[in-house]
Amino acid sequence: MAARPVPRIMQQGKLAPFYYLAPALIIMFFFIVYPMFNTVQLSFLNNNGTASASATCVDGRPCWGVFENYRYALTAEFNSGSVKAFWNSFWLSSYGNTIKWIIFMVAGTVILGLLFAKLVDGIKNEALAKSILFMPMAISFVGAGVIWKFMYSYGTQQVQTGLLNAIISAIGGRPISFMTQPVLNTYALVVVGIWIWTGFCMTILSSSLKSVPDEIIEAARVDGATEWNVFWKIIMPIIMPTVIVVVTTMVINVLKQFDIVYVMTGGNYNTDVIANRMYTEMYINFNTGRGTAVAIILVIAIIPFIYLNIRRFIAQEEMR
Amino acid sequence: MLKIWKITAVLMLAAMVLAACASPAATPVAEPQADMCMGAASGDEITMLYQWAGQEEERLNQILKPLVDACGLVLKPESTRDQALLDTRVQAGTPPDVAFWNVTQLTQYQDKLKDMASLGASQDAYITGAIDPGVIGGKWLGLPVKSDIKTIIWYSPVNFQAAGYAVPTTWDELVALVDKMVADGNVPWSMGMESGDATGWTGSDFLQDIFLVKQGPEFVMNIINGTVPYNDPGVKGAYEIYGKWAMDQKFTVGGAEGTLSTNFNDAILKVFSDPPEAFMVKQSGFAGGTITTQYPTLVFGTDFDFFVIPGAQGLQGGSDWMMAFSDKPAVKALVSYLASPEGGVAWAKASFDLSPNKAAAGNYTDAALIKKAAAFYAAKGFTPDIGDTIPGGFGSAEWKAIVDYLNGGDLDAALATAAAVQKEALGK
Repeated sequence: MAARPVPRIMQQGKLAPFYYLAPALIIMFFFIVYPMFNTVQLSFLNNNGTASASATCVDGRPCWGVFENYRYALTAEFNSGSVKAFWNSFWLSSYGNTIKWIIFMVAGTVILGLLFAKLVDGIKNEALAKSILFMPMAISFVGAGVIWKFMYSYGTQQVQTGLLNAIISAIGGRPISFMTQPVLNTYALVVVGIWIWTGFCMTILSSSLKSVPDEIIEAARVDGATEWNVFWKIIMPIIMPTVIVVVTTMVINVLKQFDIVYVMTGGNYNTDVIANRMYTEMYINFNTGRGTAVAIILVIAIIPFIYLNIRRFIAQEEMR
Repeated sequence: MLKIWKITAVLMLAAMVLAACASPAATPVAEPQADMCMGAASGDEITMLYQWAGQEEERLNQILKPLVDACGLVLKPESTRDQALLDTRVQAGTPPDVAFWNVTQLTQYQDKLKDMASLGASQDAYITGAIDPGVIGGKWLGLPVKSDIKTIIWYSPVNFQAAGYAVPTTWDELVALVDKMVADGNVPWSMGMESGDATGWTGSDFLQDIFLVKQGPEFVMNIINGTVPYNDPGVKGAYEIYGKWAMDQKFTVGGAEGTLSTNFNDAILKVFSDPPEAFMVKQSGFAGGTITTQYPTLVFGTDFDFFVIPGAQGLQGGSDWMMAFSDKPAVKALVSYLASPEGGVAWAKASFDLSPNKAAAGNYTDAALIKKAAAFYAAKGFTPDIGDTIPGGFGSAEWKAIVDYLNGGDLDAALATAAAVQKEALGK
């Protein structure tokens, strides 16, 4: 039987898909693509976008021509006097702090999330326990920052209003100024981030733990595998793709991290991170050139993680 | 049902008849005074953007009421502390007609602002030096409307008397008093400066006052124009005086950590708490309001008071500036009213801080304002805030230098970094 020709009305030209996509594309263009190009353009201009960035160069000092804003964004925080000075200033700069955030917050949220997911798995009030752990996620980051600012509060009087310092002084210790000491403060802020995001990681990891087939686990137990081995050699490999998605998502989240730092220290006392520095350059110093240059550096730093995330997503789609 | 309709119809008719009778009897609107309104017609709108809210807003309305009533102007104010709003409006080409904002914006928007002289204001109406920061590139771009003095120290006369301390009259006496307090086991200063992303400004105010004592106003103006680099020995000397007090538990509440992590408002209150944690706090004129909000029973003059920093040559003062993005008649009317003697008197009577308008003198009613006004008019000169006046990020670099130094950083390195920003900002 000869194939019946598709009725004309049902034939779609090559353009048809774009008609359907048009509303989304138009919105994307105006709110994502155009601002992106505009940001790139501004990052090569001076503080108010009226002249090239190279015009801001000062004679007798290092200058990267049209990349001058990038020179500032990449080098201004560092002390290049000696290798040791550079190393020290790096770890107190917004870049060093962002790396600390990535390492400790991603590790903290994923490990704790996995631990909680495993611990609550199958217990009597699992849904309740998970809801409680997820709750900080329902608080805005600014709200969480304010709450934790009280937790860390350092009073000059004998009576400490901050919970942590109240405990410390109750057991006879000396109150600690958590927010101002560079050896401590960034980690104190990371704790807040972990507190907020652990519930999110737990939820996703918990659902992937549940997707591990019981038969495999049973079979392993019958063969005499310890729980430790079951977890590391059977469960972990199966849930690994999800762990990687959670890790990359968290890295993207942490790179964008702004609220907690802005609310709790304003980037002072060497707690600055890249996103907060972008804000400072843009809205405190009113230098759009430098602000956008920091923004572009941040975008470039995020791109590999977005790429990993998307590739993982496509791979998963193909498996279905 | 029909009955209800009938009644309604009758009532409506009656109302219309009443209204028709009433309208011709209404008092005619006062004829606008031609000179005061500058050609503005009744119903003309002025869009305004300012940072004031609540009581401050009420006071502004009280000040503007005579003008609004006389000309039938319609004020369309918007209150926000978010400068990004102003920036966005200006960049988008839809600025408010007038903005009441900081002196920095006069430089930032110099190409877009209208000359105050062309709007009907006269420089003669203001006390000497008050409008100088508003003249940029030969054009007078803003009216200083609400001024405050910063070079003052707040203290509690009751506590001073109880401990047997006297208000110092020279800088050396102040230093001696501080040392005496320490020797007595008392804490002289409350220097807390935490202020979110603006942490450090309290310190920069204090430092500028030390410049005024040790070097004088010329030195401050030279830092602003770049002749004196920020790592000059004079600057370093002031930092050392300040740091000695701000970093030691004996001199200030909580030592360096207390200075860095105590909010500036809490720092004010520590001097007036019971028992007091310190004897003095250096803070601008607004501190009086902070004290009475927290402790409404305290009385100015007996429970809390201030003295001008002894030995300061000239005062550090700041104003909120009114700037105009439009030159329509209603804006002209507003500008000429605020710059007129009537405007100055109205400002003083509203107790809305100080007005540099000459006519305001002698019309203050609030005890603290009367004393502030006395210091204000007696001042030999005014210096604007260094950080606010140098454009391009010097303000935050200055704060960072202070915070880094107090947090144990190297003073020379901190000042060198700030000096580099100063040099760059001024294009030297």
